[in-house]
Amino acid sequence: MIQRLIAFLFLSIMLLPLVTADTVESSWNQENSRAWEYDFGAGYISTSPIFVDEKIIVRTSGHSEPSVTALELDGTLAWKYSNVHSKNNDMSPLLPVKSGEGACGAWPDLLLVGWTDGVINALHPSNGSVYWTAQTEVAGWGITGAASVSQDHVIYPTRRGIGQFCLADGSQDWWVETGLGWRNGVSIYGDSMYSGDELGTLWQVHANGNATALASFQGKIRHAPLLTSAGLLVHVQSPMDSTIFILDPESGQQRQQFLAGPSPALPSLQGQYVVVADSENLRMLSCNDTCSVESQIPFHTNGEIGWHHDGQIIAPSNTPDSNWGSFIFEDGQNLTFEFIDVGIYGYGTAAPLWFVSGGVNYTAFGNDQSVLHLYQLAQAEETELSKDFDWSTQGLIFAAYVFLGSSAIFVLNGNRDLFLRTSSLFTVLILLLIVPDVSQLWSQAVDQNLPASTTEVWNDEWPESWLGTQIVIFEFDGEEAAVGGLVGHENVYTLTRAAAEERNSSLTVEETSIGIYISSINGVQGDGWEYFVDGSKGRVSVDNVAVESTSIVRWTPV
Amino acid sequence: MFQAMGVHGPTLSPFASLVLDAALLGVAFWLLAKPTKRPVMDTLFLAALVLSVSLIRVVMQPLPNIQPVTVAALLVGAQLGARRGAAFAVLVAMISNFFMGDGWWTVFQAAGWASVAFAGSQLSLVTPSGLNLRRAIFASLAAAVWFDIIVSFSILDGTIGFVEFATYLLHGIPFDLLHMAGNFAFVVWMGSWFSNLLEEQPSLEEIEFAVVNGHGIDG
Repeated sequence: MIQRLIAFLFLSIMLLPLVTADTVESSWNQENSRAWEYDFGAGYISTSPIFVDEKIIVRTSGHSEPSVTALELDGTLAWKYSNVHSKNNDMSPLLPVKSGEGACGAWPDLLLVGWTDGVINALHPSNGSVYWTAQTEVAGWGITGAASVSQDHVIYPTRRGIGQFCLADGSQDWWVETGLGWRNGVSIYGDSMYSGDELGTLWQVHANGNATALASFQGKIRHAPLLTSAGLLVHVQSPMDSTIFILDPESGQQRQQFLAGPSPALPSLQGQYVVVADSENLRMLSCNDTCSVESQIPFHTNGEIGWHHDGQIIAPSNTPDSNWGSFIFEDGQNLTFEFIDVGIYGYGTAAPLWFVSGGVNYTAFGNDQSVLHLYQLAQAEETELSKDFDWSTQGLIFAAYVFLGSSAIFVLNGNRDLFLRTSSLFTVLILLLIVPDVSQLWSQAVDQNLPASTTEVWNDEWPESWLGTQIVIFEFDGEEAAVGGLVGHENVYTLTRAAAEERNSSLTVEETSIGIYISSINGVQGDGWEYFVDGSKGRVSVDNVAVESTSIVRWTPV
Repeated sequence: MFQAMGVHGPTLSPFASLVLDAALLGVAFWLLAKPTKRPVMDTLFLAALVLSVSLIRVVMQPLPNIQPVTVAALLVGAQLGARRGAAFAVLVAMISNFFMGDGWWTVFQAAGWASVAFAGSQLSLVTPSGLNLRRAIFASLAAAVWFDIIVSFSILDGTIGFVEFATYLLHGIPFDLLHMAGNFAFVVWMGSWFSNLLEEQPSLEEIEFAVVNGHGIDG
């Protein structure tokens, strides 16, 4: 009887979906084939590309030549506009504006670009030439959030406030101070504009430029608030988790709240439905008189969420070596999910771009790998087996199934010796497959529950604009080189990489089965490098250690 | 694994490394410096054992924390005694780390495997009817945890407190599980065969007993 129970248990495990089953070709991959790829060479694609004037327009940043690049449909370069003064990661979405006329004048088709050096460029989307330029304030960073258009004006969130500019000539109508913001998109509903800041204050700005603090939360608001029929939705980020609040849009009174995971993504609204996500789950909310969670699926995403008008949702999984997640909301009740393989892996925050040209449906993907992949909807027979098919993982999974089935047979036969042998190999294979991911989650859980006992001290010589940002210190030959003003990085690896690029230092990286190892910085290898996060010595691979929004990471040669 | 992730113990100068290696080698020879009736055969056998297990460790390096040496040290200790088991452990740590990366941690790896070999010699893993598989499995699982703890001491360089050390140990638990699973597989697949292979060799204790009683064990 016990043998049969054990055999049943083993056979039941075979029915469980394995963690790495995502490498099986998805239905999306069966229907779409890659048309071409464009390698930008360096930098990150942090916001969704757009399709304007039969051109795919992509912004890249975080390297020596932050740019907006227009590509023809065949993947050739149409034009490129660069702003070398924008030193940080540009994540303010590109904003296309149709030609029009208003009280402050007329304007042609425009492409509005907000930069981290505070500059706003209005470009001609046809050739990339500048139509007008405006300069906004800079406090360490300039513009990082999403702008909104209101009639003949554009409203841009700046580092410490919100400003209104004429679309015809870029002249500033007003600018009002709110709070220190990052990724602080602004939304417009009726006569009111809404934006949040890093201190958790939700601001309401009226058409005349007067700002009032509508509500205050413990945390950070890093997205443009959304107006649902149940109220104003803000997703407030806390150090360990986040909370979704539904508020009265006029009084700021709290109506509902939902606890969510850490590092929220930018929520997205279509009709009565809102997609919210974080490092743990992607949720579908339905908002009528009140909001309710209709469905949720475990998924890690922290940036933009793409939501096609046909209902498909695609979001980048912001983790190392990750694929993208595709979600369908079926029957207004359940989310279904599959990983899709778009051929570019790793960290990403940019939503995909969907567009139709010449009757063909296209989807464009870009992430921190600085490569754009364009896919087109194709017949199944036109698609090929992915060249990136992971034979080793698939082989391990196949072997695991063989050992699992064998274990069940041997236990039924009462052959203890062979049962132990096959089940031991099954155990080893399963652990080899899951330990890298389990280790990452485990380390994050340990770090969150056992905070560092020591701290890194603020250096009074650092500029004030670095206050409240992430800072990296490199020690070379006994001297410190600090890079500050960095924001939005979630682990030691991305933060270090951004800091190294900021000071034009090279970084040699080795990817191992248990994470990423930085073997040399600026060509200095020595006996290795070790790191400290807020004074606490790093213990595991750099991509497995989370950092806070004000963390100080120190790299010192061994 | 720790050395691959940028966590190190004290950095050693080339001279300190030389002294360390010499000391480890001295310990190994001291452990082996006992009378034997067939020194050439014993030496060749142990050398072959050390080289083959070292090679297996190097080859299996890509698999995180799969450590064939732990089970080998356990069984060598069980069959050949604590002294030769410890010597085996020290030599395997030295030789394999020559290819995988030598340093302060070699001392702790050698100590960890030597203590596992000593435990193997004391746990009656081998009975007249052969390897006690159940006992060997439990011993190998415990040895994985024990070895990982011993090796973790190598990160103590005066800058790490108790809480940080405990946190470091907690971080490593998934890899400890992998070590345990690997040991489990090694024991059930190779344990009996390896044990029988070693059984043909007399332990130093048996040799000493034979010498004391005035007759050779080979006689």
